[in-house]
Amino acid sequence: MAPKKSAAAASPAPVSTTAATTSSSSAKTSSNSSQQIDQVALNIVQHYQKNTPQRTKLLDLFMVFLVVVGGLQFAYCILAGNYPFNAFLSGFSATVGQFVLTASLRIQTTEANKSEFPAVSQERAFADYVVGSLILHFFCVNFIN
Amino acid sequence: MRSLLSVLVFLFIAVVQAVSSSGDRLLVILEDDAEKAGYSKFLGDLESRGFEITYETPKSESLSLFHLGERSYDHVLLLPTKSKGLGPNLTPNILLDFINANGNILLTLSSSTPAPTSIVSLLLELDIHLPPDRQGLVVDHFNYDTSSASETHDVLLLPSPGPLRPGLKDFFSPVSEDGNLLAFPHGMGQTLGQGALLSPILRAPATAYSYNPKEQSEVVDDLFAAGQQLSLVSTMQARNSARFTVVGSAEMLSDQWFDAKVKKLGEKSAVKTLNRAFAKQVSGWTFKEIGVLRVNWVEHHLNEEGMSNASNPKIYRIKNDVKYSISLSEYSWDKYIPFEVPESDALQLEFSMLSPFHRLQLTPQISSSDSTYSVAFTLPDQHGIFNFKVNYKRPFFSNIEEKHTVSVRHFAHDEWPRSFVISGAWPWMAGIGATVTGWLAFCAIWLYSAPSAAKKNQ
Repeated sequence: MAPKKSAAAASPAPVSTTAATTSSSSAKTSSNSSQQIDQVALNIVQHYQKNTPQRTKLLDLFMVFLVVVGGLQFAYCILAGNYPFNAFLSGFSATVGQFVLTASLRIQTTEANKSEFPAVSQERAFADYVVGSLILHFFCVNFIN
Repeated sequence: MRSLLSVLVFLFIAVVQAVSSSGDRLLVILEDDAEKAGYSKFLGDLESRGFEITYETPKSESLSLFHLGERSYDHVLLLPTKSKGLGPNLTPNILLDFINANGNILLTLSSSTPAPTSIVSLLLELDIHLPPDRQGLVVDHFNYDTSSASETHDVLLLPSPGPLRPGLKDFFSPVSEDGNLLAFPHGMGQTLGQGALLSPILRAPATAYSYNPKEQSEVVDDLFAAGQQLSLVSTMQARNSARFTVVGSAEMLSDQWFDAKVKKLGEKSAVKTLNRAFAKQVSGWTFKEIGVLRVNWVEHHLNEEGMSNASNPKIYRIKNDVKYSISLSEYSWDKYIPFEVPESDALQLEFSMLSPFHRLQLTPQISSSDSTYSVAFTLPDQHGIFNFKVNYKRPFFSNIEEKHTVSVRHFAHDEWPRSFVISGAWPWMAGIGATVTGWLAFCAIWLYSAPSAAKKNQ
């Protein structure tokens, strides 16, 4: 447990330092702003890749996938009409619900939030997530009839 | 053997009693018994059609239309009387009660005697109006009988009336080989109100008018009515299908005019009147020997394949296919015959909850013994308590109002089509599939990546 705590303590510090550097750099040179923005984006990506645990990256990837699937379904509903409406509701709400559940798993498993959930271990959070997802899938499949 | 005998007896009784569809007790009210002789042919015709005739005068003590609250007679024929009123036994109220109790009344008027006040009040109650002072005479200077009324012009000669309007059955057109003239002698015309229950059988020709012979014998200035607005024979069929007929001229039914030879103005030869046949039709209609409709049965059932087709279920589902049938008969003089809706008329079914959701034409299937009207349709997309309603009310036909109530429920949970049956739902089913498989893959990778993540952290 100790290493985790140290990691949690270590991670916020770089974030604050990068923020400070980006703000100071933008204040310095306003003429080369597009380059600065590229720089900022690159910074963020690099920081994300370097400092995010692999499981959180996996969570983010899955959430992006859900947003894409949900967006496609919504677009189809707008383009092709909402008949049968229950099918649209269950299909779309499956992605939305899954997104919400995944987001809560991400919140519970992020090292930075460790102090918020002292009684919830990673395993416990994942088990909750699996049960919640199974219930959601059962409801959606039942509702699409 | 015994049953055969009883069947024969029953048939015999049925043939002998073959008369009006609503009973054979006929009460004839006249001034005195001597007058019977004048109407012997008409009354004889009625008797031969199976009516049991009782004769009474208005003054008679024993005269009573009701006994212990029940009708004592099925029909009443009122011939003209000289008295001013009709006495305490034939007040307008009693006569109306008689109509309300499904009794039929044939009333005759005459220009020679003023109509009794009781009759005037009764007619006013029914929105039939008589000339003022209870007296009037219909004359026509163009359509009169030259042989009997060359001076007074008060014997009208009219063609047989024909149907009141297109789409009605023609009950009152007697046919004859020589000429088709009705004699309407010394009659009193009526005007009819706007009521839907009133319908004239015989209207006056355009050139006829009604005046008061007592007061306007010198100069006719203020006419009661003229032309087509003057009804000579009019009817009122109450909502309970009781019938009331006013014949403007009692003499029309007398022996003298039944087979009289009449000559119209401008015609060379005299022809026989059609009065006898017309009197038979008018009295037959009034006493419910013709134009009486009967509903034999009503049936409705589910009209879908693979479902139970029980008759008259109490409940249907929305959008069910349903078939409705109704069998109708019409009484014609002595028996029920299959009823045929007149041409350019339609029998309609209403499927209604407060207001009709469907109003559909029923198509007939007529055989020699039965006429069935049916229609197949899809119930509306609306659940609730509905009525199958056939509401057929036409002049001269007795009223039909058949109402059968059913519940219409909505779809049960398992009656909707499955999503995989509907191709439009496939993208969303694929969406759920993608979510679930994505989730499974995510879980697998999550579990697989757990140790390495732990190692990394350590």
